[in-house]
Amino acid sequence: MIVETQNLSKSYGPFCALEDCNVAVDSGEIFGLLGPNGAGKTTLLRTLLGFIKPTSGRASVAGFDCYSESVRVRQSTSYLPGEARLFRRMKGQQVLDFFARLRADCDRRKCSEIAERLQLDCRRQVSRMSTGMRQKLALSMVLAIDCPLVILDEPTANLDPSARAEVLELVLEARSAGKTVIFSSHVLSEIESTCDRVVIMRRGLIAHEQSITTLRKRHRIYAHLNGPRCQIPESLSDTISVVKESSSEITLESTDSLTRVLGWLSNLQLSELKIEPVGLSAVYDHFHREDNSQGTATSLFHSESSPK
Amino acid sequence: MWSTTIWRKTWGDQALLGLSFAVLWAAFPWIYIGLSAQIEMNAFQDVLLRAIPEDWQKMSGVPFSEVATHVGRVALAFVDPVVVLTATVWGVTRGSDAVSGQLERGTLEMILAQPIPRRTLYSTQAIATICGGFCLCVILYASIFTAIQFGPWAGKVNPLQFLPPALNVFGLMVCMSGLAAGVSACDSYRWRTIGILCAFYITSLLTKLVGRLSETLNWAGYLSVFNAYEPQQLVGGEWSDWQLLLQYNGILIGIGITSYVIGGYIFSKRDLPAPL
Repeated sequence: MIVETQNLSKSYGPFCALEDCNVAVDSGEIFGLLGPNGAGKTTLLRTLLGFIKPTSGRASVAGFDCYSESVRVRQSTSYLPGEARLFRRMKGQQVLDFFARLRADCDRRKCSEIAERLQLDCRRQVSRMSTGMRQKLALSMVLAIDCPLVILDEPTANLDPSARAEVLELVLEARSAGKTVIFSSHVLSEIESTCDRVVIMRRGLIAHEQSITTLRKRHRIYAHLNGPRCQIPESLSDTISVVKESSSEITLESTDSLTRVLGWLSNLQLSELKIEPVGLSAVYDHFHREDNSQGTATSLFHSESSPK
Repeated sequence: MWSTTIWRKTWGDQALLGLSFAVLWAAFPWIYIGLSAQIEMNAFQDVLLRAIPEDWQKMSGVPFSEVATHVGRVALAFVDPVVVLTATVWGVTRGSDAVSGQLERGTLEMILAQPIPRRTLYSTQAIATICGGFCLCVILYASIFTAIQFGPWAGKVNPLQFLPPALNVFGLMVCMSGLAAGVSACDSYRWRTIGILCAFYITSLLTKLVGRLSETLNWAGYLSVFNAYEPQQLVGGEWSDWQLLLQYNGILIGIGITSYVIGGYIFSKRDLPAPL
């Protein structure tokens, strides 16, 4: 466990930015943080780096307390803030030189390679760079640091589509190199395609934790009933459930491989069969859409949800 | 944990301001003494002693009869707005940049995301500011020295007499930079830090004047930090002048360093807001 928080809370007067947050991130995984603005993602990340003192609870990175041993935490961490502000009077190359000198584990040559992959012109002065270019410059530095934990707060915000794809590729490469990546984003597809596990935050709380591998196995099956109501056989009762049923239509949900389910479905009198993967957006909507149907969604997320 | 990279960057940050102030302070004594020499001593004494009411003469801190000498006229350079304001502006701008300036620019987040202790960042900035201030005072004194030695009053004034006043200017710089850094450590906006320091500066100046002009409110003068900035009283180079300098600079540097230490403690404990 490289990152662990125990009942981590942060309040600003009556406003609770983070409440009883319990997160455990394994070494070598890409861990996603999802949530709308103000959900507490950045507060959680900044608490991990020791920028903020928790009101209660504790957080540790690589075994070091995030507040009292923050320097040692930051020795093991590479962090990209939500809005990377760099030294405006310096040129891109000078910024990379500065951070490479500041950290022994920052590989200057790798900085240039990443900047090249992101198609960034480092000869330009930071004050003359666009927001996206500054983001690329910060990413070039952050991803060139050889440390066990990489924390990226909305790394693809302000980037063009090709740079986004390149950043996601770099994140996957970091995992291949044995690093742990914590990745916050508003873009569900990015999280879904990159992360191993994701937590959904809502109003300072961890609303749900979801394994992407498990999510990929979930499917929804929509069909028109031509015959009698179907009875789920005992052998499939642990993997399939009825989400919605009327006299003529049925919606089922499968939580495991479709192979066994398809065999059973082929024996039923169904027509207009439609099978869709349950995407992360469905999970996210459940926790954040005001008008969601609690009863419907509960069946989807019962196995992993840990709502407060 | 000392960081040469941070040290170099801090000097880079203050280089342009330091250079422009160095040019100003290198040129100012030459211009000041050059212009002063164009006014005859008798005419100067007439203006000073007859035109200015006696009550107002208290504001100078030294008898006007002493001011109306070559030494006194050079000493007035140290209370000229060019010197006092430059020393204050150096202290306030560099001090306010310690925390709130970097927070406002958003660059503090990127630096502190690296394994740099907050106290290293803060103390590096403090030391660079104080060293920068000292270099400026050396330039000011060197310029006064050369302007006296090679200027129109060569041989009439001993330039060594002005070493204590130059050090008193340094004391003012440390005091203002320390106070600014202390406020900066609690704040997140540099404009507000500068505003608070400007209010403090004006209040101190007014308190000193009130203390000087009013006999009943004489005590108010002791509340002002400017009570310890009296370079015109330190001219002479005698042992008593050095003792007085020690007293004045003890107060100014003491306030500055105390404020730096309190600011450092606050900075090491406070929450850092996300870039604004």
